[in-house]
Amino acid sequence: MSGFMMRRKDKRKPPQPSLQAMWRTDIDDHPIGLAWSPDGKLLAAAGVSGPITLFSGRDGALQGNLPGHTLGTMAISWHKDSRLLASVGQDGKVRLWDTKTGRQTSEMAGGASWVERVAFSPAGDWLVSAAGRKLRLWDTSGELKYEYPDANSTITDIKWRHDGKQFAISAYNGVVLYDPTKAEPLNRFEWQGSTLTLEWSPDGKHIATGDQDSTVHFWLVATGQDLQMWGYETKVLELAWSSNSRYLATGGGTQAVIWDCSGKGPENTKPIMVEGHRHLIKHLKFQRRGRLLASGGNDGLLAIWKIEKKKPVMLADAVFKTPIAGLAWSPNDRYIAVSDESGILSIAAVQ
Amino acid sequence: MLNTVETRVPVTVLTGFLGAGKTTLLNRVLTENHGKRIAVIENEFGEIGIDNDLVIGAEEEIFEMNNGCICCTVRGDLIRILGHLMKRRDKFDYIMVETTGMADPGPVAQTFYVDDDMQEKLMLDAIVTVVDAKHIWEHIDDSDEAKEQVAFADVILLNKIDLVAPEDLDRLEARIKSMNKMAKICRTRDAVVEMDNILNVGGFNLDRALEIDPKFMEPEYPFEWSGIYELNTGTYEWVMGEGPDPAMGAALLPLANNGLAAKEATLMDAVLTFSEDEQAVNAGETLHLGKGQHNQLVLNGQGETVFNFVIQRPGHYMLFTEHHPDEFDAHLCGTDAVLAPLETREYKPDHEHDEEVTSVGITIPGDFHLERLNSWLGQLLRVHGLDIFRMKGVLSVRGWNERFVFQGVHMLFDGRPDRPWGNEKRQNKMIFIGRNLDRAALEEGFRACLVS
Repeated sequence: MSGFMMRRKDKRKPPQPSLQAMWRTDIDDHPIGLAWSPDGKLLAAAGVSGPITLFSGRDGALQGNLPGHTLGTMAISWHKDSRLLASVGQDGKVRLWDTKTGRQTSEMAGGASWVERVAFSPAGDWLVSAAGRKLRLWDTSGELKYEYPDANSTITDIKWRHDGKQFAISAYNGVVLYDPTKAEPLNRFEWQGSTLTLEWSPDGKHIATGDQDSTVHFWLVATGQDLQMWGYETKVLELAWSSNSRYLATGGGTQAVIWDCSGKGPENTKPIMVEGHRHLIKHLKFQRRGRLLASGGNDGLLAIWKIEKKKPVMLADAVFKTPIAGLAWSPNDRYIAVSDESGILSIAAVQ
Repeated sequence: MLNTVETRVPVTVLTGFLGAGKTTLLNRVLTENHGKRIAVIENEFGEIGIDNDLVIGAEEEIFEMNNGCICCTVRGDLIRILGHLMKRRDKFDYIMVETTGMADPGPVAQTFYVDDDMQEKLMLDAIVTVVDAKHIWEHIDDSDEAKEQVAFADVILLNKIDLVAPEDLDRLEARIKSMNKMAKICRTRDAVVEMDNILNVGGFNLDRALEIDPKFMEPEYPFEWSGIYELNTGTYEWVMGEGPDPAMGAALLPLANNGLAAKEATLMDAVLTFSEDEQAVNAGETLHLGKGQHNQLVLNGQGETVFNFVIQRPGHYMLFTEHHPDEFDAHLCGTDAVLAPLETREYKPDHEHDEEVTSVGITIPGDFHLERLNSWLGQLLRVHGLDIFRMKGVLSVRGWNERFVFQGVHMLFDGRPDRPWGNEKRQNKMIFIGRNLDRAALEEGFRACLVS
């Protein structure tokens, strides 16, 4: 329920930007996907209008252009080999690209006019795509392995468990788990609400979801038990687990809320609040192995945080003119790629 | 953020039963040379670019947000599609969303209030309902969807007027107005309508409602009609046929002259007269003449009933009737002919018979106490949100130089300052459309939020 909008008092301005860009470019489009190749050599950026641009991660040199999807690209995913890139878009297609030659190697039908999600398995043996309620599993040559029964409603997210043995999808009504070797779903975690995104904890014990009704859920995968976190300012689209599965950072407001899952947590514990953004936080990413958290918001602020139990410390920051559109840590955790809505793309070293 | 310049992209929601003419209207919007770039979200699959415009197909996905609360039901597909659309560089000036024929307009309208991203970038400009003037009668009495589509509308196109007799059209328009006084009504054939009537309507402009329907927000009267007759000494017959009620209130008052001041004075006398106890007048009896004489004309069970007017002093007389005389085929007969009134006037009645969906307009002077208003409105909507389909208001809030505008759908509302009052008179105008609305309670509730 919303109320009357009051005048918003701007909080204190953040300190002088301290994160220096190593290189910076402009893709002249609203970036919707930002992904490092697993070997860290290439950074792929997809624009909302369709084209996908490949940059050298080291110096930003242009490495290639892929046409992407007419009417718009929706998502991209790298294969483990750092050469094959999958993309999906509003032309109803799933496309596989050889980033070395710039050629398309396969083109598959997603099953509906907007193909919104795509994810290669960590081992690179499978590719899952979602278009509306259609969920399809492919092999790397583009052969259809399974067409699963239609989901309850449009699939909002797909995530592989870190060992690649299962994947989960979210949609209205919660989460459904799949085993890529089986045609039927493994399990369902049901919630009467629109689940927008999900993240597996790296140890595979939890699935966290962010929901349209401003809730966060922690599903215990083994038992299907649901812990619910209420009281977010707005819908929650931002979720990030720390590499040790201890912390879950959640957005859904101007402050990030970090739940500590160690010990008896997160149930009945007080979360750690991350304060510093002046507008909604739109992106949260933990390092892949390290402990640092990156946040990006509608205020254009990119901030790097060290999580301390009492109060997180902002180690570095940078301010962009428009809202942050994407964040991605390099595979070795030493660089962070960031884009804003105007199309500025830059990479900074994080010490 | 105090945002007086509207930067949000306006959205028109198009509703109407299957076959009413929505698609014809959409095609018109897309082919008309209006100079706007329009994105259309319709019910069919696929995406087509048409010159500058774009048509996106959507499958309506209606979500309950909070465990089954209907007031928090939204269209999930719209959140996704519009969210994506707003990222595009080739910005659209306008968005139209078509709903399926049987759709309740609630969820689609609520979507623009519930989701922060939507609220930040998009503005619900108008709900346009296309009504098949010929076939609506089959639905309007017993279909909740048809009633809701009419009640939610900012603009109603009475389409296919070529298939309907003019008097049926008048009857339909009156019926629709009794449910929704706020809507602007356009009579169309093949959905031909000026684009200005459906695009950039400006949801907050209550003055439009005043322009279109001068009776809107006028004081309410206990009678619906008055006629001025010039009568000589003698006896006249007031002849009534069978009507919707077995009796009708009436007052016959002398009018000092035909000037405006005299008419206004007599009008006030009539209001007082109607507040007096009624005196029954049966067939063949004479009406009691003058101020304070509230006649109750009792009809015969069948056929015509004749009442007498006995005039002792020649001059102008003003007859006030509880219902419109046409409802009873009523007329005044002189010695040899039917007498036509010199002039007539219709009044907004203070009751709407048998219509559960109605609108209540309130105009009150004074300044609101914002917090008090916020908490009262919040409570009102928690209790009556299901029955309140739409509300709009332009309010004067203490301490604000800007007009405060609010609008809402069911339990959701959004209020924000817009332009400064400037020379405009500070006052409060509100309208509620819904089921079983209690005007007195609404008005009292609002008054309690004024700064005393």
